[in-house]
Amino acid sequence: MLEISELRKRFAGGPDAPEGKVALDGISFVVRPGEMFGFVGANGAGKTTTMRIVMGVLQPDAGSVSWQSRALEYADRRRFGYMPEERGLYQKMRVADQVEYFGRLHGMDVAAARAATGDLLERLGLTERRGDAVEALSLGNQQRVQLAVALVHDPEVLVLDEPFSGLDPIAVDALATVLQERCRGGVPVIFSSHQLELVERLCDSVGIVSAGRMVASGTVGDLRAVEGRTLRVVVRDPAPGWADGLPGTVTVTGDRHVLLATDGDDQEILRRAMKAGQVEHFGTEQPTLTEIFKEAVA
Amino acid sequence: MNGGMSSVMLVARREIATHIRTKAFLLGLLITAVLVGGVAFAPKVFDRPDSYKIGTVHSQQLPLKAAAPEAEFEWRAFPDEAAAKKAVLDGDVDAALIDNTKVLTDGEIESELGVLLQSTSRELKLGAAGVQVQPLQMVSVGADTRYQAARTGIAVVLVVVLFMLIIGQVMMVAMGVVEEKGSRIVEILLTSVRPWQLLAGKIIGLGALGLINLVTILVVGVSASVVSGVAVDFPPGLPGIVAGVLVWFVLGYAFFATLAAALSSLVSRQEEVGNVMSPLTMLMMVTYFGAFYVTSDPTGPLARVVSLVPPFSSMVMPVRMAAADVPFWEVGLSMVLMVLAVLGVLSFGAKVYERAVLRTGARVKLRDVLRVK
Repeated sequence: MLEISELRKRFAGGPDAPEGKVALDGISFVVRPGEMFGFVGANGAGKTTTMRIVMGVLQPDAGSVSWQSRALEYADRRRFGYMPEERGLYQKMRVADQVEYFGRLHGMDVAAARAATGDLLERLGLTERRGDAVEALSLGNQQRVQLAVALVHDPEVLVLDEPFSGLDPIAVDALATVLQERCRGGVPVIFSSHQLELVERLCDSVGIVSAGRMVASGTVGDLRAVEGRTLRVVVRDPAPGWADGLPGTVTVTGDRHVLLATDGDDQEILRRAMKAGQVEHFGTEQPTLTEIFKEAVA
Repeated sequence: MNGGMSSVMLVARREIATHIRTKAFLLGLLITAVLVGGVAFAPKVFDRPDSYKIGTVHSQQLPLKAAAPEAEFEWRAFPDEAAAKKAVLDGDVDAALIDNTKVLTDGEIESELGVLLQSTSRELKLGAAGVQVQPLQMVSVGADTRYQAARTGIAVVLVVVLFMLIIGQVMMVAMGVVEEKGSRIVEILLTSVRPWQLLAGKIIGLGALGLINLVTILVVGVSASVVSGVAVDFPPGLPGIVAGVLVWFVLGYAFFATLAAALSSLVSRQEEVGNVMSPLTMLMMVTYFGAFYVTSDPTGPLARVVSLVPPFSSMVMPVRMAAADVPFWEVGLSMVLMVLAVLGVLSFGAKVYERAVLRTGARVKLRDVLRVK
């Protein structure tokens, strides 16, 4: 279990901002084995800073990161896989050489690194480009190589900063499949993304971060429960004032009245609507992650 | 520790494998080999021994060879003075001896040939008259200077080779550090290797490439000299000089490369490398000019002092050792001081590199790096 607790980080200010900038204001969350954790938030909310602290690239001012109930150390991080926000590869190095090199740096022997490289390149659709220099690849393909670098040593934890940005739908699917496999194998995966529908589709749990604080976290289901379900009723050409006394709000579009209510007796509402006119739609709706997100950071 | 060293060697191997394949490296190696080979053959081409063609008319061949063993003489007999005169004017012979009494030349005679003919003819005639002349005995009371020209030549070539190799490899270290920092590869690397391992691996790898270059130059230079015959003028202590050059290269390179890595870790863009490196480039230039000066005055007080002071000693001492005999204690002291300097620079450089290499963006001030903690 990866446990992030009460991380705080303030960046030194320049001449124009002597106060500095608070990047993290006591952020905490937990990622369990086999859990895919989606990290969402506006730009500058603190996602990248949190991930950099987890990977030891930055030191927090306060707070801690622990893994398997011990303070996270360099030796643990060697078994993590990391994809930084700003991609970094040796441009002139060949694809397979590069992936293999990072595998060896993580302590694999030649045979294991070579086998893992071949396997990953195959799954990511890069086998034909294995002998090409990275700089000869398209940006999308370079990103696949970057992912291969993060995965080659069969990491115990995956920390991926915006792994899906800039990928075409086919590459997104290939990447998602690989991540889901690792996850099913018991690996905790943290990734940040602005593609909320993707997070909703892939993730077991979600953390919404705003201004350096975790404003909402939990399973997508939990978040929806907190946000509550909404009853949506559409009535055609009802008698005026039909909804007086009922909870919720009514919007009128042409001769259609739409009632949205988050509480109240749904059976009572249905009876009133049927009496008032022709009911075209009656049902509860769950908020999308986008709606939850907008509500949470507002 | 074992795992630590294997990471260092992995990093070093990557540096070697990446650069050794490039056209720039192979071309550079080829060009230096050709240049050094050329230098070894140059004396053969430009410094041929004197050779003279001399015509005779009713005269005997003078024993010139005995007086000037280095020179070549070719004799041709002519039936009469007219034929000899024509040959002189056509340039077929350099001079013609007529009746053992006069010499025909086209314009003024070359002074060496003139003196030779004059003195040999005089000695011959004195001998015929029964007078024995004891040749003057030549005795040198100064140092053995037989090899001086060769030693100075070797020293000059060494200065240039050492300087080019050290500055070339040091710049590659700087560019490599900034490549990794600027592209943020370093963020991934440092989750699996320690900063000192990355730094050491890079310096060792690029240094090994420099050594490959240096050994090629030495092998080509020495074998070309043997083939061209220049090697006969080499001083007897040549193997010692060659071994010394390798050791001094390693020390000098380690010193400058570590500083280069520390300085270049302060910046994030290739364009800034030249700027941040300028104090170090300056230091290398001063060392180079110092070493060059020493080739002309290898035993003067300046040479003796500067060849002890690191980092200047790294280039000045090998050059001084090539150009003149250096007391053993001076070489030993100089080496000890240089090793201490390298150790000091390593601890300083590793600290700066470790603290600066993850601070991407604007140029990091050296002051800020040193103040932390």
